[in-house]
Amino acid sequence: MGGTEVKDGLYYSKEHEYARVEGDIAVIGITDHAQNALHEITFVEISDVGTILKAGDECGLVESMKASSDIFTPVSGEIIEVNVELENAPEIVNEDCYGKGWMFKIKPSNLAADLSKLMDAEAYKSFIESE
Amino acid sequence: MERTHLYDWHKMHGDVIPFAGWEMPVRYSDIRDEHMAVRDAVGIFDTSHMFRFFIKGPQASEFLQRMTTNNVSKLEVNGGHYTTCLNENGGIRDDLMLYRIDADEYIWVTNAANGPKIREHLVKHSKSFDVQVQDRSSEIAMIAVQGPKALHLLSKMAGRDLNEYSRFTCNPVKIAGYDTYLCRTGYTGEDGAEVLILNCPLTNEGKKRAIGFWEALLSQGSEFGATPCGLGARDSTRLEAGLVLYGHELDEDTSPIEARIPYAVKFKVEPHYIGYDIVKSHKEVGVKKTRIGFVMTDRGIPRENYPILLNGQVIGQTTSGGVSPILNNGIGLGYVPPDLVNIGDVIEIDIKGRHRKAKVTEWPFYDPQRYGATRTG
Repeated sequence: MGGTEVKDGLYYSKEHEYARVEGDIAVIGITDHAQNALHEITFVEISDVGTILKAGDECGLVESMKASSDIFTPVSGEIIEVNVELENAPEIVNEDCYGKGWMFKIKPSNLAADLSKLMDAEAYKSFIESE
Repeated sequence: MERTHLYDWHKMHGDVIPFAGWEMPVRYSDIRDEHMAVRDAVGIFDTSHMFRFFIKGPQASEFLQRMTTNNVSKLEVNGGHYTTCLNENGGIRDDLMLYRIDADEYIWVTNAANGPKIREHLVKHSKSFDVQVQDRSSEIAMIAVQGPKALHLLSKMAGRDLNEYSRFTCNPVKIAGYDTYLCRTGYTGEDGAEVLILNCPLTNEGKKRAIGFWEALLSQGSEFGATPCGLGARDSTRLEAGLVLYGHELDEDTSPIEARIPYAVKFKVEPHYIGYDIVKSHKEVGVKKTRIGFVMTDRGIPRENYPILLNGQVIGQTTSGGVSPILNNGIGLGYVPPDLVNIGDVIEIDIKGRHRKAKVTEWPFYDPQRYGATRTG
């Protein structure tokens, strides 16, 4: 499956979610490595706007033709927006996981501490190579 | 981990995963595309991980009637039928295809995961009969050719019209110079064949032979849209057809009556098979559970082992689930108590804590006027 993209400037979890900090919010999605492994994504569901989460909490699921996997938030806070585009076009996650395929936005409650526990691009690259 | 004759090809062209002790391709391209190739054209599956037992001897028929639930005496030479092998409690040890290739010789084709268990069971019971059981799995490759164009492709390769062999037959046929048994059966809901390719030991030479047949199917089949298919499409096509899978819908605690595969079970047979009395009582007195199919009406994709609810009460559990590429919707199979729900009733599936509505639906999940063997057959 060569050619996995890891973007600089994002924060990565061991569960293959990323967090991108945009001003005072965090945008969460799954990594290119994750969408590659799942392949043909058929369904995405994220907890409701307003849900308060702690980093590591389960907050949704992704279904592919192959399997079902849970989504965990890498950042604590409140869900302030869910990508509704994915409801009818979940394949966007396969096509553009770091862009149009983002999954939800969080208003962080403990950002600095949460980010310090995530990997940067270099560390995540080594992590997926070692997996 | 075991590997079939075609492993090198799979590794080069597909995404290989562990399955039931075997390294098998889950897909080559997209599962959805492979699935639709089976429905619209022709899909090619390596099924060599299944087991092929040859059962031969003057008492082969009596022995097999003791071992299996369908009526062996009704099976003509060059005929085949779907049947089950039960335990003493009427639970399903295995489901299988049985082909009669001679008056006193049969081929038993069974699930990869059940092979060792069934071999032991057959060898043990064969001692009371004048019969030989031979496991020829490793010297015969097996490739399923499935879809409305399957017979076009195989006829082209054989240089003659193979439609003369009707569904559920099994005949020795020469195809592209290979000696095969052409079994007009499959596991996708579509017309087609399962081809047993003889003289393919697990040697370099044997593997080359099997790969040669596989590649001939693909190259000669390009005009028909022949597509290599992995286990992903194998599971999605069988689920969409409502076909049972051992370890999911079938297990040692489930009878064929509960599984609603009554065509695999006959009662006017002699001798009685193991489990006969219990299955007969399931048929005549009743069962504790029954298999249903359902289509999601809310968002959500069902998977196995999800609770099934009726009016907020858990009544059963799913055994398989996934997406139907034809319906573009979640579909599933599961077990509930008998007489509790009818076709069209609304049930709920507990998808990881989210209760989602589904409609009880008869299988196949596709429109049989537009897809499946009855359309082409």
